[in-house]
Parts: sequence; C-alpha cells; structure tokens
Amino acid sequence: MKHKVMKRVGWAFEKLAALAALFFILFPIFWLVLTAFKPEKYVYSNAFIFPPVLDNFNAIFSGNPLDFRPNFANSLIISSGTVLIAVPLAVMASYVLSRYAFKGSTPILIWVLSTQFLPPVVVVIPFFVLFRRLGLLDTHISLIIIDLSITLPYALWMIKGFVDTLPIEVEEAAMVDGCSEFQVLRHITVPLIMPGVITTAVFAFIISWNEFLYALVLTSEEATTMTVALLSTLTHRGVQWEWMSAAGMLVMIPVFILSMTIRRHFVQGLTMGAVK
Amino acid sequence: MRGKYTKFVLLTPALLVVLVITAYPLINTFTLSLREWRLDRSPTPGDFVGLDNYVRAFGDRFFWNSVQVTITFTIISVVMSVVIGLAMALILQKPSKLNTLVKTTLIFPFAVSPALKGFSWRFMLNPSWGIYDTMMDAVFPFASDVVWLAHPFWAQFWLAVSEVWGWAPLIALMFIGALGSISPDIFESAKVEGANNYQLFRHVTLPLLRPVIVIITLLKTIFSLKMFDQVVTMTGGGPGRATQTLNYFVYLQGFRYIDMGYASALAYLLIVALTIFAIFYVRALSGEGI
Repeated sequence: MKHKVMKRVGWAFEKLAALAALFFILFPIFWLVLTAFKPEKYVYSNAFIFPPVLDNFNAIFSGNPLDFRPNFANSLIISSGTVLIAVPLAVMASYVLSRYAFKGSTPILIWVLSTQFLPPVVVVIPFFVLFRRLGLLDTHISLIIIDLSITLPYALWMIKGFVDTLPIEVEEAAMVDGCSEFQVLRHITVPLIMPGVITTAVFAFIISWNEFLYALVLTSEEATTMTVALLSTLTHRGVQWEWMSAAGMLVMIPVFILSMTIRRHFVQGLTMGAVK
Repeated sequence: MRGKYTKFVLLTPALLVVLVITAYPLINTFTLSLREWRLDRSPTPGDFVGLDNYVRAFGDRFFWNSVQVTITFTIISVVMSVVIGLAMALILQKPSKLNTLVKTTLIFPFAVSPALKGFSWRFMLNPSWGIYDTMMDAVFPFASDVVWLAHPFWAQFWLAVSEVWGWAPLIALMFIGALGSISPDIFESAKVEGANNYQLFRHVTLPLLRPVIVIITLLKTIFSLKMFDQVVTMTGGGPGRATQTLNYFVYLQGFRYIDMGYASALAYLLIVALTIFAIFYVRALSGEGI
C-alpha cells in the first residue's frame, strides 16, 4: 500500500517537473508574442486578456515612427551572402579532409575547431581598424566577411561529419570508371550529402542572422541588422516594449521556420559533434 | 600523382579564408596591444610602448572588477545550466506523450537571438510591469521591494538565468542523447541487485555520464566566457559596473573610449583564459582525459 502511494507521488512529481520545464522553456517566447499583439495600454500591465491588434507591427514597418524593413533586408542579404560563400568552400575542403588523410590533416581540423573559441571581441578590433581604413564600415560586404569567421569553421566540421558517414565504395567505383575527384565530388558525393549540406546551410544562416556584436561595432546606419536595430526601440521614454516585442518576433520567425525544416538534425548541428 | 592538384584547389580557398579571418586578428591585435593608440587623437597607431598596456590592466581596478564579474557569471551560469540540463534530461528521458512534447520544445530557447533574449528578460524583470517580477513577488513576498536589475548581485544572477534559459534545454538534449546510448541492461541488473532510484543515479548513471558531463561543462564554460550580447541588451553592464564582464569591458575600452591599444591588451588576456579551457576541451573530446 505504502509502495503504491509512493509510486503515485513519484508519478505526480514527474508530471509536475515536466510541466515546470515546459513553462520555463516556453513562457518568455509566449510572453513576447503576446506583447507584440497588445494595444499600448495593456503592455504595461500583466494582462493576459486583451483585444489583439496589429498596431505594433504597423509602428515598426511604416516608418512612423520606426522602419525595420531595411534592417530585415540587411539581415537577409548578410546571412544569405555568408551562407553562399561558407557552404561551398566548406564542402570542397571537408571532402578532401574527410577522404584523404594526409600528414597535417588532423592538426588542420583541430586548428579549424579551435578558431571557434576565439572571442568575437578579439576578431572585431583589427577588422574594425581594417574596414575603417578601407572605407568598408557600415557595408554588407564587411559583415559577410567577418561572419565567415563564425560560420566557415563550423560548416567545415559539420559537413566533414556528413562526408565521413558516406561509404567510400561508391566513389571508388566511379574513380575506376575514370571520373576525376572533382567529378566525383560534384556528381556523387554532393548529391548524397545534400540533406547534411542543407542542414549546415540553415545553421550557418541562423548563426549569422542572430549575430550581434560584429553588427553593433561595424554598422551604424546603412547596413544595420535586425538584432542591432532592436536597440532603436529605445526612445526618450525608455524601451517601447510593444515595438520591441513586435520586432523581436520578426527576429525569431525566420529562425523558427528554418529550424523546423531541419528539426531532426537540430541537436547534432547545435553541438557540432561536441558530444559523441 | 593523379588529383593532387585538384585536392589542393579544393582545400585551399576555405583554409585561406579561415587563416586570414582568424590569424590576422590574432597577430594584429597582439601588435596593437603593444602600442599606444587613442583613436580620437590619431587616425593611425602610435608608438610601441612595450607591455605598458598589460601593466596598466593589472593596475586597473575596473579590469579586476570585470574579471571577478566574469568568474561569478561563469560559475553561476555553468553550474545552473549543467544541473538543470541534467535534471531535465532525467525527467524527460522516460517515454510519455507529455515528455515528447516538451522534448520538441527544447530547441526553441537556444534559437532565440541572444540580443533579443536580453531584451525580453529585461522586460519581464521590470519592477513596475514585468511579469516575472510580479510572479517572484507573489512567491517571495519579502522580495517585493527588490528591483532585480538594479541590485548588483541579482543583476548578475538574472543575467546568468537568461543564459541558462538558452542553454539548459540544449544541454538536456545532449544528455538525453548520452543517456540513450547507455545500455538498459546495466540499469536492469542494478535493479535486480536491489538498488533504489537514488543509488541507481548516484552509482550507475552519474559515473557513466562523467565524460559527457566534463565535455559539456567545458563547452559551456567557454561559451559563458564569450557571452556578450545580453550584457548590452539586458543590463548595459550595470548597475554601476556590476555586470561588466571582461568581454564587455574590452568592448567599452575599444569602442566607447576608443582606446585601441588598451582594448587589444585586454582582449589578449581574455584569449589566454579561453585558450586554457579550449585545450582541456579538445583533449577531453579526443578522449585523452585531463
């Protein structure tokens, strides 16, 4: 009897703990979304029930008082540009590193991995100086270049992982038939690892999309991205939280859509083989 | 040999980009750290001053403050992320509909941009209309006078919590993966021997997870030391200098006070700290032990 009660208590505890976890995870997102649809007078109270409006989205899109459209475009251009450079370069290099173990390939891989531990603030100082001298501050290209420092090493490791799992026999057969390495890569390897390549591309896009420090330092007006533009919701009356929430939704939506498309690979991608 | 040229062509572009984008800052920041350069006084770097910038750092109490803030933040955020992550994993690994639902949401917080994370937590902790502030006041009535982000310790604590929000669920996913790879036979035989749940956890699960715990702890430590975005959007380094992490302090010196020489020296001190953990991490990953 006592045993049965204990079991019941244990069961209830487990359910409660799972619900608490769910609350902890979702509530901040839920609250942000809720606030984005609130009329101004409901924002500064803890109201859960209110007439939902689109005023806040209008306020941040119309240019009156804010216009996030250019920032959204900048974020799209910079993130896409970064992905379009990082992923093809990573595919090419990781193919060689995966298929041809040569003297130095392991040190190269560890070196590429360790660049991920470089604090961004170290990277941004000299690039700020360099871009300033070249007149490239506040341009898309400067951010694409510097975003490669966080996406390319990551993409290289990810894609190498996918090539590693591919049996080499298919490629060898094609080589015997007279294909060059380049042809094998293009017509056999890349199509086979395409899901992995797309996953990597999505991650690289998200990393670049969410990036903040580089954009904060290197842009001022023309090339400002969404994450930095969030700061513009700070007015002389303090942060306008209803605008911030609406703009925040715009930062989140593309990331959520993209991460849903690759949900199965999400964990693997985030941890970059950190735990095996 | 056939294809040697092809391999070279395939490999070089990526490595060249990585080299330029990482080695160039490493070298350049180091040379800048040996020079005097106030950007407001001169558009080009000034004289070499040897190790003066480093000496200055060691005599700068605000630098030591930032070191202390970084250590406090790192300890709180790492311990909470790993402990809560492990707890979540242990709860969620049992198959049930509710757990499956929770598991699919584990990825969400990490996908939220850290800059936005800082903003949204700041909103929720506002003393007049913050929803979390209201909830905390209801649960802990004695805390109703505390303005969370205006109090030095609590500002550090909540900054860490915002970081834990992103990381604990992700770490839970990593642990769920690791738990899944433990053979169920081990648990069965321990149960047959008469072990209770606590003993099972203490003497079977925990020892088996040890390598994973080490790796996750090191990984999280590295990312905590690198954390920057939420400081800007959540606390602005305040109140006073209570949340000025070393990262943020470097940023302030370099881009607020535009003292490039000093900022570079500080940045190098940060690299030294990170390198130590990165070496441990790479060694732990390659299974050499520590």
